[in-house]
Amino acid sequence: MPTAKELQAMKSKHNVLATFSYDKPKVDKGYANQTLYVNIESNEIKSKPVTQDMKDKFIGGRGFDLWLLWHAVNDDTRWDSPENEICIATGPIGGTTQYPGTGKSLVTTISPTTEQVIDSNVGGYFGPLLKFSGWDALEIQGKATEEIIIVIDGEESTVTIETAPEEPVDTHILSEILTDMYAEDEDDRRNVSVVSAGRGAEHALIGCLNFSLWDVRRGGIRVKQAGRGGIGSVFRNKKLKALVVRQPGVSGDSNNPADLNVIQKTGVKMHREICTEDHRQERMRTTGTPHLIEVMNAYDLLPVHNFQYGKHDDTPKITSDVWFKLFTQGIPDGCWYGCSMACAKTVENFELRTGPYKGEIVRVDGPEYETAAGVGSNCGIFDPAAILELNFYCDTYGVDTISWGTTVAFLMECYERGIINKEHTGGLELKFGNREASLELLHQVARGEGFGLIAGQGIRRIKKIFADKFGADINFLNDIGMENKGLEYSQYVSKESLAQQGGYALTNKGPQHDEAWLIFMDMVNNQIPTFEDKAEALHYFPLWRTWFGLNGLCKLPWNDVTPADNPETDEPNKVPEHVDNYVKLFNGVTGMNITREEIILQSKRVYDFQRVFNIRLGKGLRKFDAQPYRAAGPVTKEEYESRAERYDGQLKELVGFDPEGKSTEEKLAALRVYKEDQYEKLMDSVYKRRGWTENAVPKIETLKEIGIDYPEIVEVVKRHL
Amino acid sequence: MITVNGRNVDWESGLTVAGLIKKMNYIFPQIFVTINGDLIKKDDYDTTPVSDGDAVEIIHMIAGG
Amino acid sequence: MKYVKCHPDKCGYKLVCMATCAKKVQKSDDPALANIVITKKDDGTIDMNVCNQCGQCIDVCPTGALYRNKPGVVRINKDICVGCYTCVGFCPTGSMRTHESRTVPFKCISCGNCVKACPNKALAHEEGEFEPSYFEKGEPGEPGETFPKEYF
Ligand code: SF4
Ligand code: SF4
Repeated sequence: MPTAKELQAMKSKHNVLATFSYDKPKVDKGYANQTLYVNIESNEIKSKPVTQDMKDKFIGGRGFDLWLLWHAVNDDTRWDSPENEICIATGPIGGTTQYPGTGKSLVTTISPTTEQVIDSNVGGYFGPLLKFSGWDALEIQGKATEEIIIVIDGEESTVTIETAPEEPVDTHILSEILTDMYAEDEDDRRNVSVVSAGRGAEHALIGCLNFSLWDVRRGGIRVKQAGRGGIGSVFRNKKLKALVVRQPGVSGDSNNPADLNVIQKTGVKMHREICTEDHRQERMRTTGTPHLIEVMNAYDLLPVHNFQYGKHDDTPKITSDVWFKLFTQGIPDGCWYGCSMACAKTVENFELRTGPYKGEIVRVDGPEYETAAGVGSNCGIFDPAAILELNFYCDTYGVDTISWGTTVAFLMECYERGIINKEHTGGLELKFGNREASLELLHQVARGEGFGLIAGQGIRRIKKIFADKFGADINFLNDIGMENKGLEYSQYVSKESLAQQGGYALTNKGPQHDEAWLIFMDMVNNQIPTFEDKAEALHYFPLWRTWFGLNGLCKLPWNDVTPADNPETDEPNKVPEHVDNYVKLFNGVTGMNITREEIILQSKRVYDFQRVFNIRLGKGLRKFDAQPYRAAGPVTKEEYESRAERYDGQLKELVGFDPEGKSTEEKLAALRVYKEDQYEKLMDSVYKRRGWTENAVPKIETLKEIGIDYPEIVEVVKRHL
Repeated sequence: MITVNGRNVDWESGLTVAGLIKKMNYIFPQIFVTINGDLIKKDDYDTTPVSDGDAVEIIHMIAGG
Repeated sequence: MKYVKCHPDKCGYKLVCMATCAKKVQKSDDPALANIVITKKDDGTIDMNVCNQCGQCIDVCPTGALYRNKPGVVRINKDICVGCYTCVGFCPTGSMRTHESRTVPFKCISCGNCVKACPNKALAHEEGEFEPSYFEKGEPGEPGETFPKEYF
């Protein structure tokens, strides 16, 4: 860490390009009622009012982001077009301190890998502090010509665009420097949050953003990631080095809710539930999300070797008992105040063994399940230290761990199958389990050299390069390259759950589990056997989970702990008591009086709007919902034979094909015809339930019914009717 | 023969709820169990027998990030 | 460390302690703001609830607003507290208090005013010892040992 003097020297090199002073509104019932527009090309900064219609129809968070982005771009806007924006917002409930999981920021942009809208949900203090500084959302447009930062100081009520030529780019250094630079004194550091990317995001298209918080209890910076879809790459492409927000004085009524009492009561009830139940249920407070490693392994759902398999003998090396020992215990690890679920686990005093920071002792934020499975089991790396090192470097370089894990797993399979060799990789032996190779490749991404330049582009572009330049069979690459819409799959094997295949690929942004996770309901519980059942689940759950993103909420406290009497309720999978909590929170904050059903309606507006947005950008139709076959069934002989009994049974019982005496190739082919047909039927049912055409276009009557039949939206839809 | 979540599973004498969960390798902690529609308390898994012909539901809550 | 010990068998349910606490500590006439709560249960017995200064709340507080003062009493630094109420939900005895007029919780400060005021001697000021909490043991902000070498 630089000394105070060095910080001063660095800061003295800042050249303020624009300053904007504003009257800070008092937050009223969860809204600041204005959004902040910053153009880093023209250096224009202005305030835009939040209309009642915006609140009624788009609620906040991801809804506001999308509405702002929609008006900023045109049909041909690409990820690196100057008019593309990065929008950040929490929602009306965001910034509540009394209930767990109420501090999320939602980030949207047009993605470099999916070339349509991406949204990401992230912890850290930025979104709430932004709102308390007077802004419901921030939109950043244009491309700067030199390295800049944007500083929002809620206490001074100013926004500045400043050049920042000397600060290093990598997150773990930069976020600490800027926190120290803009905090008035040591105690003020908790009032500062920094958004940054890293060197990797400059050369890769799978860049992520890191949102910081100053952890009082650890006395240091923590970072949470807006990982998916390359938002960090857009950030660095705009020459944005960082965003800084500072807002002192967060208190229990900063969000100025309509009924503080109901919020307090609901919050206390939830804290109590976590206190009494968590240690008997998922142990989020002590092991965080990695408790899922052993669970997924037991159900054959943990991705191993590029999603070929669902379990591995070495899994015990990376299960939660290991992480329990490595995570520092006993510290409140929420990513916003009041999150007693405290899943944001951390490994302290980790000594790096590779790369530019080799030998340094660092704090590693994580790993989360997705990271441990992605850079770990999916790449055959069952080694906690390697997972931590990859986790750390992905974060500080600004590279999405999920996309990195899935991409490297794909590359390793290509290598093992001889599709690529050392000549292509520049000597890297990209075999499953080769942790040194995965790390070296990551460092190459950060340095912008060698095979790293290809690896950082994400699977969709890599497939094309391998086919065009290295003569690979594109059909095979399409089967095993785990991406849909250009986004890499997150870390669950969906082969045995048709509903989850839809949960992954019939999405707006691409295969990320935060829309729907239906594997247990479908595959294990057998609760949604028919197409109609699956379609209903793929209607309800994505909408339910969209709502978290409208309000600045985390999904985890919804169902990663449940009330003791939840099994006795009518729909345990929905966790009715928690649904009621959220109704109370929303009404308590906004003073409105919505019902459970209106939650779904609120989401439906934004969800269908996002679909139309994608259609406007030339995507969003049925063909873009196609999935790689590996998400549905065995692609290769080895995959089939490893689960031969299961697949033979399916052929007999479901397909009506007698596997007796047939070759594996014949059986593979028969199973594939069946599975692909099932998926097409699923699409039909789901689109129908969602009120869309067979081509996945929201019908005009659907748009009317939900009240978003704005002429500009209808006009896009009409092109496809 | 019993059914677990609507699928046939072999029955053996002396089978308890806890034994069945183990047999199925259902290690996920957020589950609940009904036998012929009756909810079984967690504390009773060890002592509750599963009889031949029972329809058992072992419902897993939604998991996943 | 001195804490308030309750003897419900001696309590006459006059609620003098609550009124005294509200008045002297919270400067209010509203007994709902008292740091001690006396309730009559359905079976007619008396429940007396007040913080025993165990300090477990110190560990769950995200801001470090909870601390033990020199005499050993657990106090809340209201300037730092963000009113998240984690401490309320996690208090093993349910003695961290809230009120709709407040944005921060409140609790017994072991001043002894209620003890003196109780006409029935149902309250006593006693000496107690507790296991130090995680943050009391270590240097807050510098947790953990070095990363175990066996994982390399
Ligand atoms: S549950 Fe975890 S991710 Fe969600 S808000 Fe709490 S600490 Fe953050
Ligand atoms: S309410 Fe205040 S004292 Fe209690 S845990 Fe939250 S911040 Fe700490």
